Parts: sequence; C-alpha cells; structure tokens
Amino acid sequence: MTETAPAPANDTGHKMSAKNVNVFYGSTQAIRDVSIDIDMDHVTAFIGPSGCGKSTFLRTLNRMNDTVASARVEGDIRLDGEDIYSPSMDVVQLRARVGMVFQKPNPFPKSIYENVAYGPRIHGLAASKADMDGIVERSLKRAGLWEEVKDRLSDSGTALSGGQQQRLCIARAIAVDPEVILMDEPCSALDPIATAKIEELIHELRGRYAIVIVTHNMQQAARVSQRTAFFHLGTLVEYGVTDDIFTNPRQERTKDYITGRYG
Amino acid sequence: MSPFALLFLIAGLGLIAWLTARARAMRFDRGGAKRLHSLPSQHGWYVAMWTVLPALLFLAVWGSVSPGLVREAVMQHPAAKQLPAFDFEREALLGEASRIAHTPGAKAFDPLAEQLAEPTRAAEKRYGWTGTAAAILLAFAGGAFAFTRIRAGFRARSRVERAVMLILLVASLIAILTTLGIFLSLLWESLRFFGQVSVFDFLFGTHWSPQVIDPADPGASLGAVPLFWGTFFIGAVIAMIVAIPFGLMSAIYLTQYAAPRVRRWMKPILEILAGVPTVVYGYFAALTVAPAVRDLAVSLGMTYASSESALAAGLVMGVMIIPFVSSMADDSIAAVPAAMRDGSLAMGATTSETIRRVLLPAALPGVVAGVLLAVSRAIGETMIVVMAASGAATITLNPFESATTVTKQIVDLLTGEAEFDSPKTLAAFALGLTLFVVTLLLNIVALAVVKRYREAYE
Amino acid sequence: MNKRLASSDRAPTDWKAEAMQKRIRRRYAAERRFKLMGLAAVVLSAAFLAFLLATMAANGARGFMRTEVALEFDFPALALPVDRAQLSTPGADLALAGAELENVVKGAASAAYPGPVPLISDNGWLTVRDAIKADPGILGRKERIWIPASPEIQLALRGEGDPAVVTGASKLEGLGAIRTGFNRDFLTASNSTDPMVAGIWGALKGSLLTMAITFLIAFPVGVLSAIYLEEYATRNRWTDLIEVSINNLAAVPSIIFGLLGLAVFLGTWEMFGHQFGPLLPRSAAVVGGLTLALMIMPVIVIASRNAIKAVPPSIRDAALGIGASRVQVVFHHVLPLAMPGILTGTIIGMARALGETAPLLLIGMRAFVVQPPQGFTDPATVLPVQIFLWSDEVSRVFVEKTSAAIIVLLVFLLAMNGLAIYLRNRFETRW
Repeated sequence: MTETAPAPANDTGHKMSAKNVNVFYGSTQAIRDVSIDIDMDHVTAFIGPSGCGKSTFLRTLNRMNDTVASARVEGDIRLDGEDIYSPSMDVVQLRARVGMVFQKPNPFPKSIYENVAYGPRIHGLAASKADMDGIVERSLKRAGLWEEVKDRLSDSGTALSGGQQQRLCIARAIAVDPEVILMDEPCSALDPIATAKIEELIHELRGRYAIVIVTHNMQQAARVSQRTAFFHLGTLVEYGVTDDIFTNPRQERTKDYITGRYG
Repeated sequence: MSPFALLFLIAGLGLIAWLTARARAMRFDRGGAKRLHSLPSQHGWYVAMWTVLPALLFLAVWGSVSPGLVREAVMQHPAAKQLPAFDFEREALLGEASRIAHTPGAKAFDPLAEQLAEPTRAAEKRYGWTGTAAAILLAFAGGAFAFTRIRAGFRARSRVERAVMLILLVASLIAILTTLGIFLSLLWESLRFFGQVSVFDFLFGTHWSPQVIDPADPGASLGAVPLFWGTFFIGAVIAMIVAIPFGLMSAIYLTQYAAPRVRRWMKPILEILAGVPTVVYGYFAALTVAPAVRDLAVSLGMTYASSESALAAGLVMGVMIIPFVSSMADDSIAAVPAAMRDGSLAMGATTSETIRRVLLPAALPGVVAGVLLAVSRAIGETMIVVMAASGAATITLNPFESATTVTKQIVDLLTGEAEFDSPKTLAAFALGLTLFVVTLLLNIVALAVVKRYREAYE
Repeated sequence: MNKRLASSDRAPTDWKAEAMQKRIRRRYAAERRFKLMGLAAVVLSAAFLAFLLATMAANGARGFMRTEVALEFDFPALALPVDRAQLSTPGADLALAGAELENVVKGAASAAYPGPVPLISDNGWLTVRDAIKADPGILGRKERIWIPASPEIQLALRGEGDPAVVTGASKLEGLGAIRTGFNRDFLTASNSTDPMVAGIWGALKGSLLTMAITFLIAFPVGVLSAIYLEEYATRNRWTDLIEVSINNLAAVPSIIFGLLGLAVFLGTWEMFGHQFGPLLPRSAAVVGGLTLALMIMPVIVIASRNAIKAVPPSIRDAALGIGASRVQVVFHHVLPLAMPGILTGTIIGMARALGETAPLLLIGMRAFVVQPPQGFTDPATVLPVQIFLWSDEVSRVFVEKTSAAIIVLLVFLLAMNGLAIYLRNRFETRW
C-alpha cells in the first residue's frame, strides 16, 4: 500500500480539517475545542468511552447535526479548504461528497437496486438506465455485495441479513462517488463474521476515500485505521498514528483507556 | 320513597355494614396467629357487598317489572273500561293520569284521566312500598348472612377480590353485548324488511322514492344504488379530494418543517376542526357554502344548479375530516424510524426528497389505513348531509348536482310519522345494516394494515 | 501508480459544473414549493376554521340581542275584568286569559304603530301578563311596559325589509319608545314558535341531564372494563373478541347507535307496549343518555387503557413485592396514576357526546319541548338538536338565534376541550 496519493490542491493539504470546533446541544456543550485533520487514503478512527462526543463530532463533518434543532456548531471545518458551514456551502452537495454509514443498518424499505440508485437518482448522476445499472453494479461490487445479491436486485433491502444490510448501506453511500465516508460504529449491531467482512471492506475502500470510523472497539480501531483520535468528555485528548497511540500513548488518560482502566 | 332516596338508604346501609364488620374484625381473637389473612377493612367490604349488591339487583329487576304491575292494577279499575282502544289516545290518557297522580293540585283536561289518577296513585304507592320494603329486607338479610360468616380465619379478601374481578369482567362484556346488540337489532329489522322487499331489488335497484311506495311491489321504489353512489361520491370522492391533500400536507409541514413552537400551537388549532359538532358544520354548509357553490355553478354557466349540491356537503365534510387524516398521517410518519430519514439526508437528499421518496413510501400502509378510516367516518357522517345534501336520489357525476346519502335517507325515513312495520321504516334499518357492515369492514381492514405495518418496524 | 484514478472508471462528479449547479437550484426550488404547499395546507385549514367561527360570531352576536318596544297601559281606564284575589293562585293565567289580555295588548300595539306589520311579537302580551302577575298593583295605575318587538320591527331597526317599516321603526326610535338590548330570555326561556321569545334553557338543561346519565354509565363501565382488559385479562380468544369489539365500536358511525336505541325501544314496545304502554317518553334524557353512553364508552375504554398502559410495570412490581394483592395494586397505585389520562379521555368523549345530534334525532329527542325537563324521564331535547330544529326555520331572527345557540354550544365544547388539554399538560408524567 502506497501513501503517494496526490494531495488535493488546497491551502492546508488535508482533505478535511477542523479547527477549534465547539458543539452545543441547547446549553450543554458536547464538544470542546476540537481540532483535527483528515487525509485521503487514510482510515481515521475515533475512539473513546460512550458519551465522549466522538459520534457528535463525526456528525458535524457532514452537517448532520443540522437536523437536530437545538444543536449549534462553532469553529471552522473545511473540506478541500472550503468552509462547510459557510452560507455559500450547499449542504446537499456537501453530504454527497461526505457520505455517511450509520450505526444500525438503515436500508430504505425499497429494493436493493433502488437503495443503491437512490443517491445517483436524486443527484442526477446517471444519464441513462444503462448508466444507472453500471453505477449500481460497480457500487455493489466495491461494497463486496454483488456476488450475493446480483440475482435478486429487486428484493427488498430490508430482507437482507444485518451484515449484508450494512454493506448495502456502504454501497449506497459510495454510489454517489463521495470523497469522504463517515462511519458511525458501523459494526456495533453485527456479529463477528459480518464485522470481519466490513473491516475487510474498509481496508479495500481506503485507497479511494478518506474514511473516518467511530468505534468503541479498540481492537477494531487498531485493525482498520492508520490514525486514531482519542476523545474523552467532549475533548480530543490525543491524535496520532494508530500504532503510536496503542503502543506508546503520550497522555495518561489515553493509556488508562487503552489498558482497560475505564470505559 | 323516591328512587334516589332509596339508593342513598341502601348505600347508607352498606356503609353501616362496612363499619360494623370492620369493627368486629378488629376484635377478632387472633388465636396466636401474627397476622390474619384479611384486613378488617376487607371483612368490612365483604359484608358491605352482601348488603348492597342483592338489594340493588332486586331493585333493577323490580324497576322493570313494577310499571307493568301498576298498569295492570289500574286496568282493573272500573273506569279503565272506558279507555279508548286506540293505542296513542290510551297512552296519552294513562300518561296524564300518572302525571296528575304525581303532581298535587294539577288539573286534568280529561275527566277520565282524573278518575284514573287515584287508582294510579294507589297502585304506585302500593308497589313502591312493596319494592322498598323488599329491597331493605334483602339488604338486611344479605348483610346478616355475611356478618355471621366472618371470623378470624375467614378469607374475606379473596372473596371480595373475586367479586371485583367479576364486576370488571361484566363491564368489559358490555362492549361485546353492544356490538352484538347493534348487529342483531339491525339484522332483525332488516330481515323483516327483506321479508317484504327482495334483497336483489334493494341492493341493485336504481330507483329510490320511498315517498311513493306501491304496496304491491315495494321493491320497485326502494332500490338503494343511488344512495350508495351518493354516499360514495360525497364521502369517498369529494370529501377525500379535500381531506387527503390538506391532511397529509399539513401533517408533513407540522412534523417535518414547522418550528416546535408553531407545531405546538397549530396542532391543537387544527384539532379544533375535529371537535366542532357536526350540526354546526351542517348549518355552515347549508347557510354559507351551499349558496356559494350554487352561485359558482351559475357563474360557470350551468343552467341547473342545485342549492343542495353534492359539492357543498362534500367540501365541508372534507374539512371536518382534515384533522383526522392529518393525525393518522402524523402517526404513520412518526412510526418510520428516524434512521431512514437520517440515511436519506446523509445521502444529500433535500427534506422534500426525503419525505417524498423515503418517508411517504415507508409510511404508505399507515397513511392508506388512515384514509380508509377517514372514508369510513365520512360515509357514516350524518348531520352535514342531512342539513346540506338533497333528498333526491340521483346518480350523477356532476358535483354541482344534488346527491343523497344513506345516512340522510335513514334520518328522513325515521323522522316522519310512519308505522314501524312499513317497508319505508324498515328500509332504514336495512340501510343501517349496510352502513354498519361497510364501515366495519373498512375498519377491520384498516386496523389489520396498521397492525402489520407497526410490526414491520418493531 | 495512482490507485484512485485507476480504479475509478467514471469521471469524478464535477459539483461545480454549470449543469449540476442548475440542477441543484431546481431541486431547491422544488423544496421551497413543497414546503410552501405544506404551509398553505396548514394556513388554509386554519383559515377555514377562522372563517367558520367568524361567520357564527357575526350572525350569533345579534342572536343574543332583542328589540323591545314600550307601550303605555292605562289599566284603570281599561278596566280589565280580573279578580285580583285570583292573581296569587295557580289559576292566575286562566283568570288573565279570561280578561282577553292578548287582545287588549295587541290593540294597544296597533294603536301605537298602525303600520303594515305588527309592532310586537306574537307572544308579546305574555310579558304584560307576567308583569301583572308579578305586581297586581299596576292594575290600579298607568304603566309603561317594555314588550318584545315583532321580528319585522327588529330587522327594520337595522334598515332591513320594507322601507315603510324602516322609517316607522326609526320614528319610534326617535320617540325613545324602542330599544335593543341583551336578551335574557334567550338564556332562560325554552323553545317557542315565536322567535322573539324562544330560548335555549330548556335544551341546555336537557343536554345537562343527558350528559349526567351518559357520564354515570359510560365512565364507570368504561374505566372498569379498561382495568379488566389491561390488568387482568389473559390473552385468549375471548379477550381478543372484546378488544376487537371495542376498537370497532369506536369507529361505528354515531347514527348506528341511534338505530340501536330505536330498535331496542321499539323492541320493548312490541314486547310490553301493548299491555303497559311506553315506560318512558322516547325523548327522555335517560334514553338519550344511555344511547350516547354506549357511543362514547369505547372512547373512554381506549383512553383509559392507554393511560393504564403508561404506568410503568416497576410500580406494579414494587407494590406486589411488598405483598399487595392485585386489586390493591390496581386501586391503590395504578388507577390514581392513570387518572389524569383517564379523565382527559373521558372529557373528550363527553364533549363528543355533547355535540352529537344524529342518534338523538333517531330515537326521537326532536320533540318541540316548551318546558325545561324537570327530571331524567321528562320529554327533553338537547342543544345540538335545538340548533338543528331552528336551522330549518326561515325567519331571519331564528337564523341569528341558531348561530347564537351554536356559540353557546361551542363555548361549552371549547371549555371542555381546554380542560382536557390543561389536564393533559398539567399531569402528564414522563416515565
């Protein structure tokens, strides 16, 4: 695996960069002064005890917090150097470029084909039916689901097993050709075999996207990520190369968490 | 003694029974046992129950029997021989006699009634006191019986609880009995109707004019198809054309777009629409909407415009149904897991795309069920059509023309002065049976759809 | 080599392209249109409600007012043949009728206004009769008495109707012999064929009596059956049947309950009627109340069940754990906690019953009742039926009275619903 992907042309050189981000739900502060950079061709893992704010922070990266009426985001988050919270940024486009996979598989109650075609359809990415067929097939192949479902594309997406549903959701996310994929504990509702498949998939996808994965499972973070950020009580405690974090944490709190002292 | 005084007396006896039994239970010889099975108050309840319930049961029976006994006694009086044979006059006279018997100083218009007043009073007094005495006696007997049974080891609590349980069961059986009562009474009267008119004529006949019924062939003018069509046209077509878009869109706006404060205010305001009595809607439809619709039709160049158009009744009915559709749609949309919505938004869909392409299709079964229930409510709605729709049974596709409905005809048929055995009156029950069966089916289907739909997301 | 480009067989989406930007603008326009449609639906529905209420209020406000005219009576000169001793006995009405008071009063009225329409209402002379009854002393002096005007005069005072009458009325107004004020009779009198003296008290009292019966039956039965279904019933075919019955009863059109009431009434008539006659008049409050009780019972059962269901099992477990019996658990813990919800449902059900018309029309509560019912078994009518009966009248004055009666009914219903909402908010517990 090479690390020679060309850096996107922007001022920081990072795919996404967040500076001094604070998030409030009403009057309670969920995220305190978090700054972090996300790069292409890397898997970045957010770890930390539950309630530490890692999912909240993830959701600020594609502005899913907009859907929570009481949420307020302060600070500066940039995608390719562009402020994603600026009025000129279009949230619809942003979310097409920064895809998201949720904790619980949430396929739409439509056919497998329609689930994958949904994004390209609303964004008008396919010029023809054949084009759409191509997108669906390619996305399902990339998500490693094609062989299992190619004969029953018109079956309901909700009829698949949990692991297949989650891979369908990943296929759905990559069908719009995003640049960043956010994964919010994508394996927490799955059994170990399905989890292994998803992890394998994350490995393969790494070369094409910047992937951010939230997980409470430290082994998983160690297995799939190149960089790890440790969150605690809404603050970013430590961020670095995964191997360093796990073998040689600089902060006492990180060490306590990794060695299972709490969390 | 007036019924209320008697009820109070029995309740008082019950209270005394409760107090004495409890007092006695408190002094029970515990025989070394640390605790008794039942508390003193439970012994009290046991005795009080035995005091009150038999007496009340007796009174209920007596209340339905004694007027007959009184009437019989009055009929024994020599003056009763002069009573007219015709039911209505006789009832009026007897009613007057009883009124004179009750109100001191009242004068009668008919001397016969005055003659009968005295025997009525005497008989009512006699049977009244008999009943009162028997009820009080029963209360004492029941209380005494129960009082002798309580002792230290007596399981009063279990018995009281079993009785409570029985009362609860009886209460819940009333629902079944009502359903059964409705069905059987409608069926019974309908069967009498179908003894005179063939089912085929009724269900498939296209001519409805109950005002002129040929005794030789009553079925020829009692064909209900125009009614069914009018009901469907007003309730399921015109009303739904108003109610579905308005109800659905307002539910969508209030759940997906409106600020919480707007939602908190607008939802109850829309619900007021459902709380306005139907007679008010009917009056509004007849007074304001119907003339406006007629004027509209005239301005559109229609030569014949009815002031009792299907459109006026249907429009107002639709408005009445809006909150109903809206709350059903609200529930169904809320039942779609939030993950669906998030999933679609995270793909970069706009809110309206999410609603139209994900939420609505997912909520569709619930919305359809809600519409079915709304239709069932619309076709059973009475006052709006009674006041604003026409009585003329026509089959028309023109909303500006008049149409009549099943409910309107039921009211028209039953509020005239007709004998209860005539095919005209009985037809109302046949219409009622049809309406009952159709709404029941709609309801059963809708509830089944909702149930399956809920299970899909649980 | 560049893995990203090599594996991507499609060109990356160019979000900045003109076509894409245009498409996004179109999507946002659709979004705005959709949102606007939703807003329009809400606003139009609310506007309809406002229009309905405004129409009723505009018409109804006049329904509370009445025009009266003052007539001068020189009683000594009239020399009414009335025995004053009789005036304090129950036969007073008879005695005054014998004096042809009606003709005297009408004569006085046409003397004061010899126009094409009568000056005072048909029943206007009753005001004079009541004045004499209240104070027989006026028979010995001259007296000015305010008498309800005729409908024509009342309308003419607003400039409606025959221009000749309009000028006549305004002339009387100039003399101070005519006034328009709050009509107390409207709230205290019963129905009448004369719109000037008709009131709603009889119907309102009938409604109250009917509601009392409805509540006394529907509330205990509804709550008890909810307790049974929620706390005791084991799930089997029978309890399923009960449940299905209740759910379906809630959706049965109200008119069907009227048919049930009528059929039961006719049935008992057939069985006993020919011997005994009707045990009750068809329009008795108790018959209507019973019918409505059956109608709203499912509403109460369903609301009560939801309220009972909302009480968390932990409270039942806690009580059972310290040795309470199941009856004690229900009556000491569950029922008090569920009571606000139960009451809310009951009030909503009662409000529905109060506004209901159709079943009562069928069982016969549409009688023309001029005396307020004195008890549950007297012939009675209810407010919605009164509204229905008045709505058929052609007189303008009745039209206004109908709207005024509607306002009274709506005030009651709004108060009940407001109380229900208050209860729900005040006692709503989130477990």
